[in-house]
Amino acid sequence: MNGQQTTEFRWHGRGGQGAVTSAEMIALAAIEEGKFAQAFPSFGPERRGAPVLAFNRVHDSIPIKIRSGVTNPDVVVVLDPGLLTIIDVMAGLKENGVLVINSPKSLSELKKDYSGPWNLAVVDATKIARKELGVPIVNTTMLGAVVKAVGIIKLESLNGPIKEHFGARAPSNITAAREAYEQTQIAPPVKTMPKRVEVLEVLPSWQEILPGCVVTSPGSAKQYRTGDWRSKYTDFDYSRCIKCGLCYIFCPEGCIEQRPDGYFESNKYYCKGCGICATECPKEVISMIEEAS
Amino acid sequence: MNTTVTVTKRLVNSFEQLAPGHRACLGCGEALAVRLVGKALGQNVIIVSATGCMEIISSQYPFTSWEVPWIHTLFENASAVASGIEAGIRALSRKGEFNEKTKVVAMGGDGATSDIGLQALSGALERRHNFIYICYDNEAYMNTGVQRSSATPYGASTTTSPASKITIGQTTWKKNMPAIVAAHDVPYVATACASYPFDLMSKVQKAMNVDGPSYIHILSVCPTGWRSSTESVIGLGRLAVRTGIFPLYEIEDGRYKLNMQMDKLHPVEEYLKQQGRFRHLSPEVIASIQTRVNADYAKLKEKATRS
Amino acid sequence: MKRIGMEGSLAIAEAAKAAHVDVVAAYPITPQTHIVEKLAELVATGELKADYIPVESEHSAMSACLGSCAVGARTFTATAGQGLELMHEVLYVASSMRLPIIMVVVNRSLSAPLSVWGDHSDVMAVRDCGWIQMFAENVQQAYDLTLCAFKIGEDHSVLFPVMVHVDGFHLSHVIEPYFVLNQEDIDGFIPPYRYPYALNPAKPVTLGAFGPPNVYTEAKKAQEVALLSTKKVILNTWTQFKKLSGRSYNPVEVYKTDDADVALMTMGSFSETAMLAIDSLRSQGLKVGLVRLRLWRPFPFDELRAAVSNLSTLIVFDRAISSGGPPGPVASEIRSALYPMKTRPKVVSFIGGLGGRDVTVQAFEKLIKKGIEKAKADQLTDYEMIEVRGQ
Repeated sequence: MNGQQTTEFRWHGRGGQGAVTSAEMIALAAIEEGKFAQAFPSFGPERRGAPVLAFNRVHDSIPIKIRSGVTNPDVVVVLDPGLLTIIDVMAGLKENGVLVINSPKSLSELKKDYSGPWNLAVVDATKIARKELGVPIVNTTMLGAVVKAVGIIKLESLNGPIKEHFGARAPSNITAAREAYEQTQIAPPVKTMPKRVEVLEVLPSWQEILPGCVVTSPGSAKQYRTGDWRSKYTDFDYSRCIKCGLCYIFCPEGCIEQRPDGYFESNKYYCKGCGICATECPKEVISMIEEAS
Repeated sequence: MNTTVTVTKRLVNSFEQLAPGHRACLGCGEALAVRLVGKALGQNVIIVSATGCMEIISSQYPFTSWEVPWIHTLFENASAVASGIEAGIRALSRKGEFNEKTKVVAMGGDGATSDIGLQALSGALERRHNFIYICYDNEAYMNTGVQRSSATPYGASTTTSPASKITIGQTTWKKNMPAIVAAHDVPYVATACASYPFDLMSKVQKAMNVDGPSYIHILSVCPTGWRSSTESVIGLGRLAVRTGIFPLYEIEDGRYKLNMQMDKLHPVEEYLKQQGRFRHLSPEVIASIQTRVNADYAKLKEKATRS
Repeated sequence: MKRIGMEGSLAIAEAAKAAHVDVVAAYPITPQTHIVEKLAELVATGELKADYIPVESEHSAMSACLGSCAVGARTFTATAGQGLELMHEVLYVASSMRLPIIMVVVNRSLSAPLSVWGDHSDVMAVRDCGWIQMFAENVQQAYDLTLCAFKIGEDHSVLFPVMVHVDGFHLSHVIEPYFVLNQEDIDGFIPPYRYPYALNPAKPVTLGAFGPPNVYTEAKKAQEVALLSTKKVILNTWTQFKKLSGRSYNPVEVYKTDDADVALMTMGSFSETAMLAIDSLRSQGLKVGLVRLRLWRPFPFDELRAAVSNLSTLIVFDRAISSGGPPGPVASEIRSALYPMKTRPKVVSFIGGLGGRDVTVQAFEKLIKKGIEKAKADQLTDYEMIEVRGQ
């Protein structure tokens, strides 16, 4: 990347994972270096667990005036590997740009699905975060990978902003970012485009909007797949199940259904993986399994 | 016809008022409470929602999560809109144009109920409209990012009552909404929590049969705003009840009735220590909270004994 | 049709009664009180089979109206001044959710200083709220336009709330003769209200979904196109009403403008006083006329342009101030409406009649003469406040 042009970043994360903080750290680090930078979130109603976006722009010497969203990023960062199969993270990514992915998979494994006319960078940030921070929150860890892959900001420049933001927890976050910097592997661009996730969004024209925006199809939001928010899934071991139904009654999604044989199961289309059913099951029928594993 | 599901030998309406696919945070205690309320209400209802989490997570145009007629207009006016609907139903059913048994149910968060919507609620209660008001209390303005409300508990750190070296965060005690409602002399007031689903549903059914205003105040655990783990939502609700911080009771025609006889309260510390919003509290502050909770619970018991 | 003498407020209440309103939700405020007191009395005596909700504020009055209208009940309310301002955010919801609530606004000034008396400050603060808005000039018109409002607003191709503006005290508290229509004629004129998307468990709908950035613009476009196209129904309704009553209503009304070179523009009850000033000036040899805005929203652009195209000067009389802006809000809108015309009259702006201040025939004469002078001198960038003490 070249600091003489505006470098645009798009961060993909989930509500609660700190993508906005990541974008802020990049902007503050760039500003600390005397550069011009901005960071902003995609303002929306999305909740903890739902896919969210954050953005950056960085330029060495010219103030950044553009306020619109980033649609043709130079850099795409994916904090959560689960997003790769549900969102077209590569949408608009520029030729010779960078796609930075957090994944337990190796670079050679990921190349076949995510290599394209861009550099592909991979790091197992979740593993590093668990080790250094004790929690699988990767927003600071991924900063190291991004600095390594993009190359327009120095790793040390992150220290100040991280200290300011995280206080006592700063040293472990700085260590995690450094480890990610060291472990990030990068593959050069290839000519072929990988297969992309198709996201169909049908929105009404103004003529199709009924008076007062009335919605006449009850429960139509059922089409929305909240299962995409999940980082853990439920695994039922029916050998111990007494069909008591407590998992059903305590599910905030209403996505646990009774089968004809009387056993209950969670509908993966909706289950967000909160783990309430597993905690409340008196017979320990349900375990929560990490999606990525 | 509605079908049922058997849960611990009890029949539960299988009807889901709030369809799956709603956008609440994972582990949302409030969405769970709405779901349970819907099972008890059934389908002959019209829901009026205040602005807030439950509105935003269920009604992103052009879709809706609601299986029953539902209206949202503003933050502070759910009770007034409900008043109009109830009067409209009365007027239309006189002409044979509406089912007079249709129940109007207004819902709002703690901010919409105890702060900005208190006047409209008071007016609707005083005028004795035939409606149920349900407060889904998650103890702060969660929809806008965890700002304090008058229902935020003493000692909680929120974004507008942040704890620091010189303050414990929220320095006022939670507003006693059920008592304020009861002071309007309404036929039925109850507290509930989704951790006790059958108690909650039976209270909603009771409210359905009241001719006049009724009020149910539901403590709704919010892992996002309380900074607690999602899987412990039900357990935290139980602790809120068992510590006496949020006792379950009913006020029927002015008579208080405790729903769970608790001779010994769990220490409040058990409840507080599981939540990030209370993590900063010193043993002295926790002790002072314990004293106040004990005193409040004793007062409540006293009221129940006198009734 | 029977001719009787009655106070304006009571005539309005009679119109609401004759329209068989189902729900009235209102909060008392001077000078609107006589309307809602009368309606409460009609409900109490059983003469009007409706539910009267004595709400605890205007915010709740309009909110209750949203509810009753959405469940399919014909809904009426009335307010004034501060009450209209307290309703402010709810007004936008009513029009955006396309709920045809009918409201009479008894125009009143805004505090501070507190003033219960009339002007158009309250109207101007809710210009952009998306309601159909019209002005009455006398008791007969207040009665007629209230009846018409139900038929217009509830039409399925309209579904917009309607405000009928009547001047505080000058119309609300004046006793005048007016013609009352026969109930059978009214029943034939106003069909029963059937809201097509009513809240009903028999057919669940969601009203008031939220609009993220990817749909809000389309929602507003749809609403705006719908509001502009309501004019067809408004004109049809007034045509039908003329057949019934013999009285005609037009979006822009003119008085002696056929051969006029200069015209005064007014809205509301001062128009009839202004007519006398026109008569007087004509007897002095001045070719002056009067143009009145009947329909305020949707704004009657075409009718206005047609009405003033032959004038050299249009003198606009405002009863409100757009503080710190182009002071006369109506003058400002008129200038904007006329700007695209190749030849257009010069627009001169006056403000008066604030907070119940009287404007006499003589004052109007003086104002028109002053306006003509200002136009001749091309003194068009300022405005003048009339009848004000001090230099």
